[in-house]
Amino acid sequence: MPKRKSLIKIKPRKYRVGDIVKVDFIVIHPMETGMRKDKKTGKVKPMHYINEVKFYFNDELFTTVIPWETVSTNPYFSINMKVTGPGVLKVVYKDNLGEVHEKSKKVKPKG
Amino acid sequence: MKKLLSLALIGALFSAPGLAQEKLSMTKADRAMYEEMKENNPADIFVEEGAEYLDELGGEETLAKFLGVKEEELPKYIAGFPRYIDKITMVVAIDQMLQAFMYDRGKKPFKLKSTKMDAFSAYVKSLANGEKINIDVNANEHMKKAYKLGKEMFELRRGKRGLSCYSCHSPDVVGLRLRMQILPDLGDPKVKAAATWPAYRMTKGKMFTLQKRFQQCMKNALLAKIPLGSPQMVALEVYITDMAKGQEIEIPGLKR
Amino acid sequence: MRRRAFLKGIGAIGAVALLDIKVLAKDTKPKGKNAITFKKALEVITNGKGAKTSDKVKLIVPEIAENGAVVPVKVNVEEPIENVKSIHILATKNSNARCADVFLTPRNGRAYFATRIKLGQSQDVVAVAVLKDGSAIMASRPVKVTIGGCG
Repeated sequence: MPKRKSLIKIKPRKYRVGDIVKVDFIVIHPMETGMRKDKKTGKVKPMHYINEVKFYFNDELFTTVIPWETVSTNPYFSINMKVTGPGVLKVVYKDNLGEVHEKSKKVKPKG
Repeated sequence: MKKLLSLALIGALFSAPGLAQEKLSMTKADRAMYEEMKENNPADIFVEEGAEYLDELGGEETLAKFLGVKEEELPKYIAGFPRYIDKITMVVAIDQMLQAFMYDRGKKPFKLKSTKMDAFSAYVKSLANGEKINIDVNANEHMKKAYKLGKEMFELRRGKRGLSCYSCHSPDVVGLRLRMQILPDLGDPKVKAAATWPAYRMTKGKMFTLQKRFQQCMKNALLAKIPLGSPQMVALEVYITDMAKGQEIEIPGLKR
Repeated sequence: MRRRAFLKGIGAIGAVALLDIKVLAKDTKPKGKNAITFKKALEVITNGKGAKTSDKVKLIVPEIAENGAVVPVKVNVEEPIENVKSIHILATKNSNARCADVFLTPRNGRAYFATRIKLGQSQDVVAVAVLKDGSAIMASRPVKVTIGGCG
């Protein structure tokens, strides 16, 4: 399974319990539509796209995104989250060829 | 008169600026939306990767020592690239400086072509984020020469169509459209050309250095690509970076 | 003013317009594995009930996209989060009209979603919100995709 790089950002950077923060998730992925030709080989590049992104807070699933191949290359997904206390935000993502990856970020509210 | 003439000459290539300006231009709200996208630039991930490469080599402290500057002066120093470095005895952009640095640290240097080098040089340039470009093209004879060569390269008409950088970026055509895209003035503070490369190109879904962007321009204009890191290529970077002198560095950039 | 009237009109003449799109899609578009028309996708999402155009769905897209490969889309649904089950982004003329389906819970705090999508040509982007009672509301906006300059 190829290594994929991803990034989780919580905005604003400083937040308190009770705040609603923005959670931004970016991942490096080709998001191939299955309709493009490889310029070098002339062959159609097979469809390859992320088809599930799950957001967990302390292992509790709270948002599921089902993206399609129509989402841009190196996709960006942004949702809101209500901060209820410290913990771990985890994003688990899968693609149509069976790759599964995850990325975590600590949630540290001040005050 | 000169302007009129050039307008007539390139009339077949470019559409007039007045034509459908209203319909084709992005609104303020549109611009704001694209501006906001910079906060979530996929290239942030590549820049992060570059940080790992520098850490492996001893971090900013070691790099500053290699360059012979104090660590706190490093950002300002980086904002002055391309520059002439005695140790290397050449005018170099950040990527070739890093090759020398890697060699000095006993590591096999990344190739200029590699995406690893793109990530590494993007991260090192991002250390100067917020600093203003302070390239000095009169610093010494080498820089003066490079600037002169850069100007020549910029204006040199090559290929079957006889195109030069100047064909699309002269003051006479800046602001006109090439297939709906406005031709940018590379010295305009709003464009921030050299201050925002390496940048993520949305059309390609990848991050590129300024020299790689030049090569893509050359390919589209049907010109033979000038090799990365060659004296001509570095000179071109010197010339274009000087156009953006005084502009604040913002790495990674985000381009259409 | 005219556009607002047009947007309102979409709901009313939707059936006719959608039929046209379907015919067009059949003739000109290569079909991917996931190909589905906008009409069919909307049916699936709303369980056949369809969606009503509503001011509560705030859909933000550029009027002119400088690059069809990366078009930013942002949706805010002005309903309490407890009342919103899911948000769906659709593109009327893409061969697979679906872009993303987002299933929310009260922990989201607000019914918001943003992403970036590909648009094969100038077309309408639609955001649908499915509410707790099973009904659906939507908003639609045209996006003009321009042809790029230097590759």
